[in-house]
Amino acid sequence: MRLRPAPVAAVAAIAVLAVAVPILPLDNPTRMEIAHRFAAPSAAHWLGQDEYGRDVLTRLLWGARVSLSVAAASAGIACVLGILLGLVGGFLRGIVEVLTVRSMDVVLCFPPLLLALLVVTLLGPGAGTLIPVLAVLYLPGFVRVVYAGVLTVRSQDYVEAVRALGAGPVRIMGRTILPNIAGPVLVQFSLAAASAVVLESGLSFLGLGVVPPAPSWGLMIGAARATMTQSPLLLLWPCAALTLTILAMNALCDALRDAVDPHGVPARRRGAVRLPALLPGLVPTRGPALEVRNLTVAIDTPAGVIHPVRDVSLAVGAGETLAIVGESGSGKSLTGLAVLGLLPPIARVVQGAAWVEGQEVLRLPEPARRKLRGGAIAMIFQDPLSSLNPVHRIGDQIHEALLAHARRGGERLRQRVVALLTRVGIPDPAARARAYPHELSGGMRQRAMIAMAIANDPRVLIADEPTTALDVTIQAQVLTLLGDLRRERGMGVVFITHSLPVVAEIADRVAVMYAGEIVEQGPAATVFAKPLHPYTSALLASAPHEDGSLPDGIPGIVPLPHELPPGCAFAPRCRHRIPDCDAQRPALVETGEGHTSRCLRWREFA
Amino acid sequence: MPWLLKRIGTALILIWIVATIVFLAIRLVPGDPAELLLSQGGVAPDPAAVAELHEQLGLDRPFIVQYGDNLRRLAQGDLGRSLQDDSPVVTEIARRLPRTLELIAAAALFAIVTGIPAGMLAALRRGGWLDWLALANSSLALSVPVFVTGTLLVLVFAQWLHWVPAGGYVPLARDPIAHLTLLTMPALAIGLGLSATVFRMTRAAVLDVAQRDYVRTARAKGVHPTRILARHVLRNALMPVVTVLALHLGSLLGGTVLVEYVFNYPGLSGLLVEAVNARDYPTVQAVVLVISVLFVALNLAVDLLYAALDPRVRHA
Amino acid sequence: MTAAPSPLLVAEGVTRRFGARGLFTRARPVQAVTDVWLSLGRGETVGLVGESGSGKSTLGRMLLGLLPPSEGQVWFDGVDLARATPAERRALRRRMQIVFQDPHSSLDPRRTIGAQIADGPTIHALVPPAERRARVEGLLGQVGLAPSHADRYPHEFSGGQRQRIGIARALATNPEFLVADEPVSALDVSVQAQVLALLADLRSRFGLALLFISHDLAVVRSLCDRVVVLYLGRVMESGPVAQVLEAPRHPYTQALLSAAPSLEASRRRTRILLQGDPPSPSAPPSGCVFRTRCPVAMPACAETVPALVDGVACLRVG
Repeated sequence: MRLRPAPVAAVAAIAVLAVAVPILPLDNPTRMEIAHRFAAPSAAHWLGQDEYGRDVLTRLLWGARVSLSVAAASAGIACVLGILLGLVGGFLRGIVEVLTVRSMDVVLCFPPLLLALLVVTLLGPGAGTLIPVLAVLYLPGFVRVVYAGVLTVRSQDYVEAVRALGAGPVRIMGRTILPNIAGPVLVQFSLAAASAVVLESGLSFLGLGVVPPAPSWGLMIGAARATMTQSPLLLLWPCAALTLTILAMNALCDALRDAVDPHGVPARRRGAVRLPALLPGLVPTRGPALEVRNLTVAIDTPAGVIHPVRDVSLAVGAGETLAIVGESGSGKSLTGLAVLGLLPPIARVVQGAAWVEGQEVLRLPEPARRKLRGGAIAMIFQDPLSSLNPVHRIGDQIHEALLAHARRGGERLRQRVVALLTRVGIPDPAARARAYPHELSGGMRQRAMIAMAIANDPRVLIADEPTTALDVTIQAQVLTLLGDLRRERGMGVVFITHSLPVVAEIADRVAVMYAGEIVEQGPAATVFAKPLHPYTSALLASAPHEDGSLPDGIPGIVPLPHELPPGCAFAPRCRHRIPDCDAQRPALVETGEGHTSRCLRWREFA
Repeated sequence: MPWLLKRIGTALILIWIVATIVFLAIRLVPGDPAELLLSQGGVAPDPAAVAELHEQLGLDRPFIVQYGDNLRRLAQGDLGRSLQDDSPVVTEIARRLPRTLELIAAAALFAIVTGIPAGMLAALRRGGWLDWLALANSSLALSVPVFVTGTLLVLVFAQWLHWVPAGGYVPLARDPIAHLTLLTMPALAIGLGLSATVFRMTRAAVLDVAQRDYVRTARAKGVHPTRILARHVLRNALMPVVTVLALHLGSLLGGTVLVEYVFNYPGLSGLLVEAVNARDYPTVQAVVLVISVLFVALNLAVDLLYAALDPRVRHA
Repeated sequence: MTAAPSPLLVAEGVTRRFGARGLFTRARPVQAVTDVWLSLGRGETVGLVGESGSGKSTLGRMLLGLLPPSEGQVWFDGVDLARATPAERRALRRRMQIVFQDPHSSLDPRRTIGAQIADGPTIHALVPPAERRARVEGLLGQVGLAPSHADRYPHEFSGGQRQRIGIARALATNPEFLVADEPVSALDVSVQAQVLALLADLRSRFGLALLFISHDLAVVRSLCDRVVVLYLGRVMESGPVAQVLEAPRHPYTQALLSAAPSLEASRRRTRILLQGDPPSPSAPPSGCVFRTRCPVAMPACAETVPALVDGVACLRVG
């Protein structure tokens, strides 16, 4: 957990000041000097004197002490009680849950300030009333945070594991659950404390909080209001003290929240990156559906620039299926996203070119690229539930794909939507068009995604792990559908997957990626029968065997993108490694008709 | 629609609990309300007067009868009579409630009109100077308590610049311009902080939604960026913003106390403070009850709104 | 012929319903597992196969006593889990363990892996405190990690390594029965093979009875002695791996096998493509739960629930 130091230091400084007030060489905060009413700042009284001639600085500092002790005490009480109630309610559930957690809804029925007013009315003002009232006000917040945390943590496998080990509920709550919800509770504590400072000052301002002559910022502001035209400074000092304290506490809340729940470093999207113009001789003579050459993608990380996709070249013809296969971190998905111009903001293409039916796309201006996306080149993704907008109907989302590329809308487009849903095999298409994504099954959602992708008859379809989230019988349906559509429409399909058996089922050609590079590419049948790169053979040997013998694994792990070995990226895990492998990065060499390998020793495997 | 019935049922139960708590709170506090009321000024109360007041307030009857009677009258919409002038409390509440609601509505309008566009813009220009400036601004706005904002507004615009009166209220029918002028400063005092809250929520929600998979899908379809922003990003991002805003407005129902006090604005909270100081228990009870009922109703409305915005909730 | 040794674990007609909880909710209960009979001998490995929603994880947790069955009994070494005294249950906990699917949520992010592996021995007082460290280091060595790893936190490990840590934690109590709930599904294929090999090795070394839950028939084939095929909470077919996977008799098993993509696509028989989606477990079809997608369903399938006869629950068979 990393915390920004500035807010911590600011709050700590205020707290130290408040604690140290009694031992500082200060005036008595209630000592009056009526003769020096409204005296301007002087050497003896740095911030001047108030309407009774009391020293303003002394009263400000004592006010900090009052504010912070009320805040700390009320938030502390609420925190301890809240943890207890939330833990018990979240862990035991049932009637205990109703009593401890649901009962908090009653407190939430009262607007906070109103509840405080009501209680102060009944019990009379003063810090002794204020602390329990504020504690009650903040209790529901703590209970809810703890309860929600317990429910989240409870469902984690590691809690089930401790339960399976035979741990009792007390041990589970104390050892496993509490440490894992400490972050959110700390955030809640800082929120409650900051809010308590605001409420305490507000109630004191009304005369319902701290009782005079005890110093309080709220009281000081209330008193100075009456004389603000003569001595506005008297008003400004406590206002500034109060605001700065709350500012520091809010900053601490934000810092804590960021430390507990880190969301990526703010990434600035760089201006459009200009790729160098292509040399005239580089344009492909024949126009395959998609051709990619020397594609390299860069990502700026705190540890420096990494290149998760390096020098990738591939081509897919009309009606052909090219599978890109690789394990996690191989760069296969980024390759697909880069071609479409859908890279996340932190990533950018730094080298290479891509042609769709002979037209270069990486150098196109964004409006022209947009026309291409969903038009000539379309994409489907792994998780159809998160890839569909939850608040729009399926039919509307398909309609939107048509509309983006149509000259005008109208009834004809609506009919196309139903026709598309029919084509992808969704039963009762007219009714399903009005359904929301969550109302469909996983398989139906992926069919809807496919309908959206083929809406404008694309020449190239990039499918990124489209069946990984599906059950095997549904996967078979979707693979069959994709194959039918490819033949029927003559689309080039780029099928990104980690599953070799799926590749064997559907691909004409296969490109094997490892750590950002293509290590072998060729006709699927040839590559599977006679792999010319040790990684491909090792991957094939890792797949479960049909004969029931245990598969062989590959020792070691994929190198991290910023720790790539200088030579062949696979060398550290390779059985055929020789000293030359570590010397320099092997080039992709043509080993036969349309078959390439990035291994120095490929001849020995041929 | 059983889901709706369940929510309404829960709301009714909560209101009943609130009414009970308010009833108990006033009866169970140490000291006899009648004696407290009559002993103001330090003079020992006349026992006959206390007994008379007991009878008038119904305090001489058994506890449970008082409670039942109390609930029955509340159910009939009878909120009791003020101890100060014996007028029905409901009349005074009916006069003051619209003023407070108008104040809250004006503040909310300001917060929405400024906070949502600023939040969107800051999210789209994330990390830029505009974003930085808006964030710093909102941090400050969130850190100044409303009564400080209010007091400083009075100091600057009324006392120093003399642009507006320091406070007060004029009915709309009598002088629309004066009415709106007097509304501006208190609404601004509340609206500044609220606007900062809305800004932050909007910014965070837009940033969150913009990186969702379905926004990527929309881009993959070739949808125009403006349409993506309107149909995919905003539609989803505004759901949490609307919820948080509504809950904040709810807490403002009792939270305008300070601003009404600073600007001498005769709203519902002012009535409460007056009643508190005068120990006018029937009025205190009635105001607290009305505000709580509104608060519960608002929460119910938020849930309904959420269901309208998010089709997934309707089926949950 | 000697008498067959009594099985370690026996499930008799276990059923589990979810839902219908809370004061106001009247949701239709979901029947996750229905009337499953199962036994597992010492040292035996049984594969539990099914698609999502088939109830395989629920069944696994019931066999471990982590989830009480709504109906039926689970016997572990002659003790009824539901009627065991707290002391008995504590003792049983030590003898049965679980390995999870998700390598990210299965380890507590805030404690060192050494502390987590030591939990079991500590709770059951298996080793004196002074020897705990040695025990942890020994276990780490057995799953192929270094002793120095004990002081690291989970986020410092890759998915495959975390899975090894999860296995070490489960083995720390010297269990006799291990449930592995999709232990390799979340891993890359090259790492899958490493973890499978480790499980196979430890199983024979410790003489573990292993319930291996998976959706991947090929993985089950390489590791298991017997296999049980679940669909919508009911057993469709069960028997020795060679028999069920080479000559499946139930139409669902046949469809499942033929739907699985294969490296040797040419060797395939004609593919049976199931139509539609599995029905919702909250509204299962009458009679045979598979009949709505079954290519050979007949009217009688809607009338009677087929009993599991000779390892197959199908009216068309036998």
